[in-house]
Amino acid sequence: MIVPLAHVLILAAILFGLGLVCTLVWRSNVIMLLIGIEIMLNAAMLVFVGGSNHWGMADGQVFALIIMAMTSAEVSLALALVVYLHRRKNTVDVDEFRELQD
Amino acid sequence: MKAYLELIILLPLLGAIINALLGGRLLSRRASEWLACAVIWGSFAATLAAAIVYRAPATVEIVSWLSDFDFKASLTLYLDPLSLSLCLMITFVCGLIHLYAVGYMKDDPSSVRFFALLNLFVAAMLMLVLAENLPLLYLGWEGVGFCSYALIGFWHTKPANATAGRKAFIVTRIGDTGLGIAVVWMFELFGTESIPHLNQMGHLLPAGIVTALGLLMLLAAMGKSAQVPLMVWLPDAMAGPTPVSAQIHAATMVTAGVYLLMRMFPLIGVSPTVTAAIAITGALTAFYGATCALVQRDLKRILAYSTISQIGYMMLGVGAGAITAATFHLLVHAFFKALLFLGAGCVITALHHEQDIFRMGGLRRTLPGIFWPFLAGALCLAGVPLTGGFFSKDGILGAVWLKGGALYGGLYVVGLVTAFITAVYTARMVLVVFCGDGIHPLPPGGGGLGRGGLKQLPRIMEWPLIPLAILGLCGGLLNLPEYMGNGLLHLFLLSLGSHEQTLPHSTEILLQGVAAAVAAAGILTAWFRYGGKRRQESLAKEQKPAGGIAAFLLEGWRVDALYDLLLVRPYTRLSTFLWQQLDEGCIDDSLDRMASLFGRCGQWLGGRGQGRVSLSLLGMAAGAALMVFWMVWGMP
Amino acid sequence: METYLFYILATVTVIGTILAITEKHPVHAIVYLVTSFFSLASIFFLLSAPLIAMFEVIIYAGAVMVLFMFVIMMLDLGRADEAKRPPLRQWFLPVILGGIILVSIGVLAAGYVTTPHAPGAITVRDFAVTLFRKYGVAVEIISMQLLFAVVGALYLGRRRP
Repeated sequence: MIVPLAHVLILAAILFGLGLVCTLVWRSNVIMLLIGIEIMLNAAMLVFVGGSNHWGMADGQVFALIIMAMTSAEVSLALALVVYLHRRKNTVDVDEFRELQD
Repeated sequence: MKAYLELIILLPLLGAIINALLGGRLLSRRASEWLACAVIWGSFAATLAAAIVYRAPATVEIVSWLSDFDFKASLTLYLDPLSLSLCLMITFVCGLIHLYAVGYMKDDPSSVRFFALLNLFVAAMLMLVLAENLPLLYLGWEGVGFCSYALIGFWHTKPANATAGRKAFIVTRIGDTGLGIAVVWMFELFGTESIPHLNQMGHLLPAGIVTALGLLMLLAAMGKSAQVPLMVWLPDAMAGPTPVSAQIHAATMVTAGVYLLMRMFPLIGVSPTVTAAIAITGALTAFYGATCALVQRDLKRILAYSTISQIGYMMLGVGAGAITAATFHLLVHAFFKALLFLGAGCVITALHHEQDIFRMGGLRRTLPGIFWPFLAGALCLAGVPLTGGFFSKDGILGAVWLKGGALYGGLYVVGLVTAFITAVYTARMVLVVFCGDGIHPLPPGGGGLGRGGLKQLPRIMEWPLIPLAILGLCGGLLNLPEYMGNGLLHLFLLSLGSHEQTLPHSTEILLQGVAAAVAAAGILTAWFRYGGKRRQESLAKEQKPAGGIAAFLLEGWRVDALYDLLLVRPYTRLSTFLWQQLDEGCIDDSLDRMASLFGRCGQWLGGRGQGRVSLSLLGMAAGAALMVFWMVWGMP
Repeated sequence: METYLFYILATVTVIGTILAITEKHPVHAIVYLVTSFFSLASIFFLLSAPLIAMFEVIIYAGAVMVLFMFVIMMLDLGRADEAKRPPLRQWFLPVILGGIILVSIGVLAAGYVTTPHAPGAITVRDFAVTLFRKYGVAVEIISMQLLFAVVGALYLGRRRP
């Protein structure tokens, strides 16, 4: 272990916080919102890999891989949705899509 | 030996595969017809070669197929006298039928599909006959069932034909279920599926279980061989092209049930209940088929009911324990029934697809090349002395007589009565179709068909009748009664180990005399009704819509209506109930209501919210922050 | 040496991410993010997860980010004159919330002291055995999910009349 686990966790926390801020701030652009989600997922992966390294078990890495696979599925669907919504309303502003309200 | 056996099965299969894959695209029409015929005749040649080198029962394993722990059912073929004689008959008769079909399907656009299925049909039947173990036999059994379904409904654009195909498939399925249960059960009991092994184990089991197994197989045979009460599919199977009818009735399909019972006879014959049940089924079916054939107007339906009746005779023979006689009748019947069907096909084609016998007549002079072979087949069917049909039918009746007792005595009488009726309807058919002057008053729309109206038949449709006629007439030589010197077939099948007693010669001659008298009486009865001058008035009488008992017989004892009432309609009603009340009314409706409830809840909630994604996200983040904050500082 | 490398890479990652989320131009943001992911991949490598590091580069920095770029270009969102950063007042609340979460997790993590177990390196072989032996079902499910995603994307993306 090159650094204490706590430092890895703190780095992950910083990344997670940044991703969260990005998601909350960029309401005018759904693509940036998705990027925030990606950053948060990367933070989670970092925790898994750090834990895996800390305890010498490969399980954490496996879950990092599974997160990655899940992310690619999620991104492909989400971007398809973005394309679809943009075609419908010609905007990527999140708050424009509020049909569920009524 | 191994190569011959493999060729017997693989050649028709190869023909089917090549025709199915390449036919119509790479192969010209002529080439695919040639291929279809050539593989069958090649298979016949292989069978002949196998027969020449045959010394003792042979088992040949082609390839391992199903094998798991102690369950083993490889692709193993078993050649013994029974399967060899059947194979010879099947390949020969089917070869002739294929040649005939080349002429018959000359103008059909989808003849490639026809020939591929026909080849597959033969391959499945040969597989069934040669199978060494029951799963392989079952494979052939189902293959035959599938091919018959596809071929009966061959002209599937007409709904009636497709329905007939489905009916054949569904009704035989009832029997197949019985066979399936028997196959699995036998493995559970004996731990082996090999037929020769199983046949030696009949004595090891309690009588009750053997009886149950035998009855299951009888059920299977009822379905496949169109025995009472599962015979309803066969008359409708006439919807297919005539070569298919010939093949189903003569060589393949319906003989499969009889073959199964003969094959497993050493096992199931142990139980007297089973043999009695088989004999009763056979006699009943023989009588049923003959009475129905008596009043039919459709040429092919007459032949169909006569097939039912003749298969009934075979079952009766099996039930009496006379495997040789049953095999003999099976072979001879294959020859003359194929002949009759092919002849009927010629007649129908020549008359531009006219099947009603009352619109025919006088064909003796206009179609002599068909009349004489057809007459030979009819003589065999009627059991006129010295034809093959006479000897084979007499062999069965003699065996039944030999069994004695009240039951078999009664069955003998039934058989004799049936023989009389058979002679009557056969003579009626021949007299109405071929005699007379061909000009008779017909209800509107029709008109006597003059000579000029006949369609020219291809030669290839006429000459397969000749060898079949010769074989039918001289079939008796295969198995002459003992007083004329023992038959070939009898000696050949003796090695099967069936210990059949033989009648004293005087009794046998007496019985044959009775049978001959019965046949002659039947023919005379028909002659008095339809021959000479009385022909016109009898025909005029029968032109009218039938009533009373004639209508009852015309509709096949109204069995179809009975089944419709007992099975089809309750089933339809149950399905309709399940569909409309249970599925649509209950399940769908409750789901619909649930969905609309959730929809309304969502709308109600949506009206109360802001509907802005960013706000929801912010709220979620705030909640998460609160939770984490509490986890760090709030927790005790 | 590796310890210093970790802190340097961590700094690069954080700065890259901050630049990415504050950049008004989406294409630039993605380029910053790719930088950040590269250094994160290096951190994974340092944490003895070479395979994950490789996948991070290939899948995240490669495929996923390119997909984003592709969509931005397809929808023509990358025009510099239209790009605008959210106004400053929108940043307050998110930063406060993110800060709370960050500080809380940081406090939790700092107070979390355990001794590392078995410093033996995790080989690719261990990884593969764990993945396919222990989590074989998960692999199946994930593959199915990918298939569904493909079908869904095709359905959403088809041209409507």
